[in-house]
Amino acid sequence: MSSDTKFHVHHDAPEVVGRRERLGVRILIVADGSFLFAMIFTYFYLRNLNVNDGWIPKGGHTFSAASGWMSILPLVVAAIVHKFGQRNIKQIGNFSIITLLAYLYGAYYQFHQMSNMPFIVKDTHAFEGSYASTWVLIAGANMFHYILAAFIALGLVIRARRASVDPTLEKWRMRTASSWFTWIAIAGVICAVTTSMI
Amino acid sequence: MTTLSQQVSNRPIPNPKKSLITRLNMGTGLIVGIAFALATYYSMQTTLDDATLNFQRNNQVLLATMFMWSIGFLVGIGAFIGPFRWLIGKDLTAEEQLYLAGDGQGIKRYFKYCTDHKVVGIQYLWGVIAMLAVGGSMAMMIRTQLAQPGAKFITPSIYNSLVGLHGITMIVAMIIVATGPFGNFIMPIMIGAADMAFPRLNALSWWVLFTAIPVLCSAWFLGGIPTGWTAYAPLSVQAGPGMNAFIATIIIFAVSTAVAGANITATVISMRAKGMTWNRVPIFVIGATISVALAVPAFPTFMVAMIQTAMDRTFLTGFFDSNVGGSGWLYAHLFWIMGHPEVYVILLPGVAILMEIVPVFVRKPLFSYTAAVVGFAGIAGLSVLVWAHHMYMSGWLPMLNGPFMVTTEMISIPTGLIFLVILGTLWNGKPWLKVPMLGVYAFLWNMLIGGITGLYLSDVPADNYLHGSMYVTAHFHYTLMGAALTGAVAGLSYWYPKMTGRMLNERAGYISFWFVQIGFQILYLGMFIAGAEGQPRRVSDYAQMYANSNRISTFGAYLIGTGFIVLLWAVIHSWRNGVIAPMNPWGAKTLEWTVPYPVPLVNFDTPPVVTSDPYGYGKAVK
Repeated sequence: MSSDTKFHVHHDAPEVVGRRERLGVRILIVADGSFLFAMIFTYFYLRNLNVNDGWIPKGGHTFSAASGWMSILPLVVAAIVHKFGQRNIKQIGNFSIITLLAYLYGAYYQFHQMSNMPFIVKDTHAFEGSYASTWVLIAGANMFHYILAAFIALGLVIRARRASVDPTLEKWRMRTASSWFTWIAIAGVICAVTTSMI
Repeated sequence: MTTLSQQVSNRPIPNPKKSLITRLNMGTGLIVGIAFALATYYSMQTTLDDATLNFQRNNQVLLATMFMWSIGFLVGIGAFIGPFRWLIGKDLTAEEQLYLAGDGQGIKRYFKYCTDHKVVGIQYLWGVIAMLAVGGSMAMMIRTQLAQPGAKFITPSIYNSLVGLHGITMIVAMIIVATGPFGNFIMPIMIGAADMAFPRLNALSWWVLFTAIPVLCSAWFLGGIPTGWTAYAPLSVQAGPGMNAFIATIIIFAVSTAVAGANITATVISMRAKGMTWNRVPIFVIGATISVALAVPAFPTFMVAMIQTAMDRTFLTGFFDSNVGGSGWLYAHLFWIMGHPEVYVILLPGVAILMEIVPVFVRKPLFSYTAAVVGFAGIAGLSVLVWAHHMYMSGWLPMLNGPFMVTTEMISIPTGLIFLVILGTLWNGKPWLKVPMLGVYAFLWNMLIGGITGLYLSDVPADNYLHGSMYVTAHFHYTLMGAALTGAVAGLSYWYPKMTGRMLNERAGYISFWFVQIGFQILYLGMFIAGAEGQPRRVSDYAQMYANSNRISTFGAYLIGTGFIVLLWAVIHSWRNGVIAPMNPWGAKTLEWTVPYPVPLVNFDTPPVVTSDPYGYGKAVK
């Protein structure tokens, strides 16, 4: 959307555009929620079926429950910081930097975890069991959330330093971003709870 | 005071010369897409670890190549300019937005990343026609092979691939057949909006889908899809390289569907004209919105199933491999959690189109608008609780079959409401039997047969006998083609004047209708007989005892093919040479008929105010 209000395709007020954008993001959250549901369904389905004792085979490896919580902690921190930033809109640029750094750290941590997975069989390069398979799927989805959130946070940091953007619309975009940040934090907590039940 | 469209038309044609967006089009998209794909292919071939298994390595290379083609095309056509400009805080200027809307660019805008919803609607229309033509041609080849037992028209493995590719091509085409062209072109005008809620996402949904088409076609050159369109695991995990094309197509399509679904839903919720309260929203808009709102949560589960299949093929995870704790049932669940709502994602917009048509051509108010909405909502709500009726015979927990049988049979209640609404509207009316109206009668007949035969399949003991047979194939064609496609074709003939400015050739419309509908009955009634006698589906040959019914079915298929060729001719010929259409040829009351052709960029000179319901025929004006 343009910040130039001389001609706007919709001719709508920034509040109206902002509210609409937030609605769109919330509908996309429904899609992402369904994606999350499918992953959680997969985790518990395979865990409870435990086909051929293959959930965690004999001698198999797992991540500790704590490491799952560590990997989603930055999501929660970033969402809270962003909420504070919304209340103190003049300092939003500084708050957004903290949000961005939290996401970048989270992405790094998740990448580090994924590149040091203990459950790949050395000879065959195959995953040990279905726990390992579902873990990497959930971690990958978490990584996707981090990358997308970092992109949004970077945009907010840059835009907070530019005078040319429409302040009203920008305020709405903060709220829209907040919807997404809050959602991915909730999704992260759900994932951490899930992977704690090894 | 100048009107909005005068303001727009008085502006000089936007020419933001310094902007990159003026240089990008489908051609640059193709070049960058192919460059990305080639770079990915060759770089991965050279850098991948030699210890990687050949099967795994090939799948990694192919999947990465396909996704990079899609991303490259989108980069090349300019889909990411908006997000990038947002990122750096230099939003698109008003002039650039107007340029993206295709203002003053004539036919070229159809080959660009154009944000005008009318352009996107036409792009979807031709995309759907192309997909239906390809999928239909495959159907003709399948029926030719089945014309007689022992036929050697195609080999069994090609037949297998044809069945899978026909299935997935038609499913994708049918999902967008109504919401793509009419949901984009007509629906915003119907609700009195100037555009969609998110014009750039609108263009994105089309072009993302476009990138999936060559990916799916590439399956032919990679050995085909041997699994049918359901792609059950672990068969799909073990299948050859063509399977990668299927996986990539579904993942790309799921992204397109989520984006389009969010856009259409947000548009209807937030951009209705003043006075258009929920009980004044045209029924097509209600049906299409419920359909896409159902698609938004449904498709991600299929996407997850495909990602898991891709991971099993490329990284040797074990989602579906029982040796390492996986299960084929997991795939069946995830697939059908999407798969059954998807049937109604296809069906609802087609039915809603027919409901839109009936009051116009009978000149009566829609009988019980509320019942229609409750019917749609009831179908959508129940559709997410019935998925396991596709798994009765899979060997899963038999005691759970009962609840799924009940929920499945309960769907006939809201479906009955739909029938009631259409029959009630027709009751004692004097129908104006133009081409769009014929579809209503065809729907009533076809959906009756499709619905009743579905009841047998929902019944566990009957399904024990009928599952996996041609009976199932005939049943779902009666619902998807006999009802949903019939609705979409009726919609095309109904809105054709608004979309093209010309009337669809009426004689060709009648000829096409009768060829298709007569052929349809011959084809699928013959198939019901073969199925009830036990002929299995998805098999390229059959016993002599099924010969007569198959011969009859193939004759019916050729009639359908002829009918659709006539329709295609009519669409193309009328677009160029048809009779110029008046603004409101059917005398309808919905808002799209209040705007001229060509529809102005912002649709309405002044934002409309709605003061009555859209079906107030025969009522005194208050």
